[in-house]
Amino acid sequence: MSATAGRLTHDTLDQADPKIWAKVQDAFAGALGLENDEVSLEKTIIGDLGAESLDFLDLAYRLERAFDIKIPRGGIESAARADMGEETYEVNGVLTDKAIERLAAAMPEIPPGELTEGLRVSEVAEHFRVATFYNLVVHLLAEKEAAKA
Amino acid sequence: MTPRFAFVVHALSPAHRRVMGLRWATMRLALGMDEGVSPWKMGRICDLGLPGIADGVILGITLDPEQMLADQERAVLRMERVVRLALEEGPLAAVGLGSLCAVVGGRGEALAERLPVPVTTGGAATAWALAVNTLRVVEALGTAGPVAVVGASSPVGRAVAAYLADAGLGVRVDGKRAGKGLAVEVCEGPEEAVAGAPVVVGAGPTGGVLAPEALAPGAVLVDVALPATLTGPPPPGVQVLAGEAIALPPNWARGGWGHAYHLFAGYGPTQVFACVIEPLVLAATGRGAPYALGRKLELSAVRDFGRAAEALGFVPRLAEGWRGIEPSRVAQPRPASGLRGLVSARLQRR
Repeated sequence: MSATAGRLTHDTLDQADPKIWAKVQDAFAGALGLENDEVSLEKTIIGDLGAESLDFLDLAYRLERAFDIKIPRGGIESAARADMGEETYEVNGVLTDKAIERLAAAMPEIPPGELTEGLRVSEVAEHFRVATFYNLVVHLLAEKEAAKA
Repeated sequence: MTPRFAFVVHALSPAHRRVMGLRWATMRLALGMDEGVSPWKMGRICDLGLPGIADGVILGITLDPEQMLADQERAVLRMERVVRLALEEGPLAAVGLGSLCAVVGGRGEALAERLPVPVTTGGAATAWALAVNTLRVVEALGTAGPVAVVGASSPVGRAVAAYLADAGLGVRVDGKRAGKGLAVEVCEGPEEAVAGAPVVVGAGPTGGVLAPEALAPGAVLVDVALPATLTGPPPPGVQVLAGEAIALPPNWARGGWGHAYHLFAGYGPTQVFACVIEPLVLAATGRGAPYALGRKLELSAVRDFGRAAEALGFVPRLAEGWRGIEPSRVAQPRPASGLRGLVSARLQRR
C-alpha cells in the first residue's frame, strides 16, 4: 500500500475524515456486534475488539458495500509483500527485517517499534488496528478516484 | 398446501463442483470451467423434507469456498438467483443457508434484504443441537467440572454458553467479548478456558484454534467447528464427538438424489446436520421471522427452535462421523483399534 493522502498515522488518529470514519465505525459495530462507541481507531481488532477470522470476512463485505470498493483478500500484507519484489519476505514463517520495515511503512497507524524482530507471519493480523482498515478504505477510495480520472 | 422451504449449499471443493457439473451434464463445469455456466442450470440438487409438514428443496451454487471468499457479492447474487428459480415453482416459506452460504454477505443479511422470504442461517439449530448434546455428555460423565466453550465469541458459541449457564452449569468462555452480559467465567483464551475442563464445546465456525495437548486427560470435546477445533489428532483418552447431528425421524423423505446428497454432503445415511432442519421448522411453524440472521441469535430463539424441532420428531444425537453414539458410551469409551480406529481418527481430523 503506497502512501496516500488522508491516511492516518499513530500520531494523527484524531484527524480522521468524519464521513469516512462514521461508515467504518458502523461496519465494525455491525460485524462484531458492538456499540459504535466501543469502536475507536487505536483499538486492535483481535485483542481489543475480540474479532475472529470470519468477522474479518463480514467486516470486508460491509466496508465494500458502504464505500463501493473491492477489498482484496490479504490486502495489507500482500501489498507490503508486492513492494518487496524479489527480496525475501519470510523465512520459516518468521518475517525478515526488511519485511517488518515494509509492514511498518504500510501500517503507519501502528505505534512505532511494535512490529519487532521475530514476528511471525501468522501474528501480523494481531497488530491490525481499526485505523488499519480506515487507511485501507482511504487508499482504495483514492485508487478508485484515480481510475476514474 | 404443504409449506415449502429451500436450503442453499455450495460446492465444497473444485472437484465437488465438477461432480455437480456431471450431475447436470453441464460439461463446461465438469471440465472445470466456471464462467459461462448458467446458475439456473445448477439450481436443484434434490428434494427432501417431512411429507405433509414441509417440503424442501436443496439448491446448489457452483462456487467453491475459495471463490465465495474472493467475491462475496458474486456469491450472494448466485444464491439470490437459485432461490428466485425455486420461487418460480411456487412460494417458499423459508430459506436456509448451508456452510459458507451462511457466512458470506454479512452472515445472510445481504441475501435476506433481497428476497421476499425469511432467510435463516442455521445458527439456532446448531446451537440447540450442540447445547443438548453437551448436556447429555455432562450428565453421562456425572461431572461437576466446568464446561469450556471455545469459539464463544461467535453467535453460536455465545448462545450455547448462555444455554449451558442457564441450565445451571459452570461455564468458561475464551474471551471477554464472549462473556459480555453472561453469567460465565471469562478466560484469556482457549487454552486457559479448557485447562482441567472435563467437557469442552468447540463452537467456533472455523477451528484449528486449540492444541490437542491443552485438553485435560479424558476430556470430551463436542465439536461443530469446520475444520475441527483441535490443531491435530486428539491425544489418547480424549474423545471428540460431532455436536450438530440430528437423527432423522421415520417420516423423513428423500428421493434417490436425496440419498446421494446425504452421503455427499457428509451427513451419512441416518442423520443430517442441524442447520438443514432450521428452514424446515421455520416453514412448518409458519413463524415469519428467522431464528438466526447476521450476528443475531437470541437464547429465546434457540429455545423456540428446539421446542418446535422436538415436536416434529427431530432429536439431536452425539455422533462420530456417520455413527450415532449413545451417551452411556461416552462415560465408558471403547478403545478404537484396527480399521475402525483408523476411520474414526480420520473422521475426527476432518
